[in-house]
Amino acid sequence: MRFISLALKNLFRRPVRTALTIAGVALAVAVAVSLAGFNLGYQQAIERSIDRLGFQVMIMAKGCPYEAATMMLKGGTGLLYLPADTFAQVHSDPEILSITPIFIGIAEKQGSSIREDSSSAFAVLTGVEPKTFLEMKPWLEFQSGTGFDGGKWFSPDATDEVVMGYEAATYEQRKVGDKFLATVSPYGQAEPVSKEFKIVGVLKRTGTQDDGTVFLPIKTAQAFFNRPNQLTILGIKLKDFSGGNLQEFESRWIKLPEVQVVSLEQVKSTLVMLIGTAQVMIVAVTVIAILVAIIGVINTILMSVYERTGEIGVMKALGAFRGDVFQLIWIETLGVCLAGSIAGGVIALGGAHLTEKAIKAVIDIGIQGSIVTITWPVLLGAFAGAAVVGFFAGLYPAWRAASMLPVDAIREGIG
Amino acid sequence: MTSNSILIEARGIKRHYLRGSETVKAVDGIDLEIHAAEMVSILGPSGSGKTTLIHLLSCLDSPTEGSLSINGKPVAGLKEDELTKVRRGVLGFVFQKFYLLPTLSVAENVELPLLFYRQPVRREETMAVLRQVNLEDHARFMPNQLSGGQMQRVAIARALIIKPKILIADEPTGNLDTENGIAVFDLFRALVREQGISVIVTSHNLVFGYRADRIITLADGRIVREEKGPAAA
Repeated sequence: MRFISLALKNLFRRPVRTALTIAGVALAVAVAVSLAGFNLGYQQAIERSIDRLGFQVMIMAKGCPYEAATMMLKGGTGLLYLPADTFAQVHSDPEILSITPIFIGIAEKQGSSIREDSSSAFAVLTGVEPKTFLEMKPWLEFQSGTGFDGGKWFSPDATDEVVMGYEAATYEQRKVGDKFLATVSPYGQAEPVSKEFKIVGVLKRTGTQDDGTVFLPIKTAQAFFNRPNQLTILGIKLKDFSGGNLQEFESRWIKLPEVQVVSLEQVKSTLVMLIGTAQVMIVAVTVIAILVAIIGVINTILMSVYERTGEIGVMKALGAFRGDVFQLIWIETLGVCLAGSIAGGVIALGGAHLTEKAIKAVIDIGIQGSIVTITWPVLLGAFAGAAVVGFFAGLYPAWRAASMLPVDAIREGIG
Repeated sequence: MTSNSILIEARGIKRHYLRGSETVKAVDGIDLEIHAAEMVSILGPSGSGKTTLIHLLSCLDSPTEGSLSINGKPVAGLKEDELTKVRRGVLGFVFQKFYLLPTLSVAENVELPLLFYRQPVRREETMAVLRQVNLEDHARFMPNQLSGGQMQRVAIARALIIKPKILIADEPTGNLDTENGIAVFDLFRALVREQGISVIVTSHNLVFGYRADRIITLADGRIVREEKGPAAA
């Protein structure tokens, strides 16, 4: 028999009390792991989503740049449009490696869908130039298989062809060659207009907003929405994307009326900041949960020490040194904390999907993919944290037990 | 070691303590020698100082006055862990409450002191001491499967596993019926006779107490009578 087996057996004396204490630790660890997983996953998801936009800089109409960036990630309404001549002015800038004009419009789903959607449902129609757009997003590929083979991009001048993102096609249950009916409210017109398009390709899943988008030739989109030559965004890749160069580029074009230049690095950091308040609250809840768990552990072990006062006295009479008793009680505390950390890790892993749904329900800024990433380092960090908590939580009960004078302990035990 | 070797020598030991403003003289100047291979009963009514005296003799408590040596080592002024060192290997303990750990089997309870002594467990030795107390068939039992008499015998086996020179038993029959009490005292007698262990036992029951070699009677913290028992005669 060893101290560790004796300590663990002691924990089974009051299984319900031990289980409840472990549950308290597990809850704290689960919250901590989920938070750490969220911090990690959210940053990665933002970077992934923004990197998958394909460009480093956006030129867009003045307004809140972050609202615009969020719209790019998530879709939405309230779009602003660039003056018609912006592309012509900017595209010849010598620092630009590539540039793609993008027009975004919102189509109502009624009449365009086989589904009965609510009146607020909409589909994002994105007008693009395939050639320059693919320079930004070379990873876009067409879906293959029955009903999807032969997918291709529309020709720039096509007026009735669209390419659907993976989710848009799945949602509408459309395949290559099917029709797609879109209803929009053109600028300056009182009545909505419907138009039937032919689907010429369905894209593979990308894990970005592109999955939910319907692409069409930019000129067709501009005409459909009655905004000829207007653009929503100019997506730009620079030859040299260093801070100084970006600043020069920005100062050059910020002078244009009603135009702003937004670096996606700025957008990234702002989106991280947006969630900052929520993170502070979650950290506060986690700290409280950990403190409650620590108090619970100390209380349980102390109760156990007091219940075993006589027994501890007898152990000392039988030859146990103060250090032996300290070690025994301390191992018990550590055992509770480590068991709690393992259970908490499992709960966090199992509940990651629910955590993600809960967070997205409260704060949805259009980040695609998983925003809770629980990795081994996160789990190991939680175990190490629980060990540290166990170390400190066990000190006082262990010291109390070790400090009992055998004669007093035996007397008290008999009493 | 001869049968006359002195294992415990107390000279004028006192144990006084304050209870509020009153000084309680639990032990008030006792001279006592415990020799090898003798069984000594300490008798007396409740509050006579039996338990305090036995706690002093077993280094669980320290006298406020007087000198005390255990196995030739003076113990006055020693700290707790130093007293533990003095006890280890010399003193075995049996208490009125058996204090068996409920989550350990009989054999594991017996082996518990070896954990503190950092000694390897040899199951054959465990079985040997269990045989001495007639519980070799109960090694795998849990304490809650035992009767009071059996639990006390497990506690005795636990004291014997470290091969003590002195076995100190504080009211070991307090929770036992007469039959089991006599069996425990007979076991103590056998340990003295066959293994040369000294046994100091407190009891308030004269039937048990008079089965010793020497009977010491206490009252108000002092020895009021010391006599040879029928076993020594």
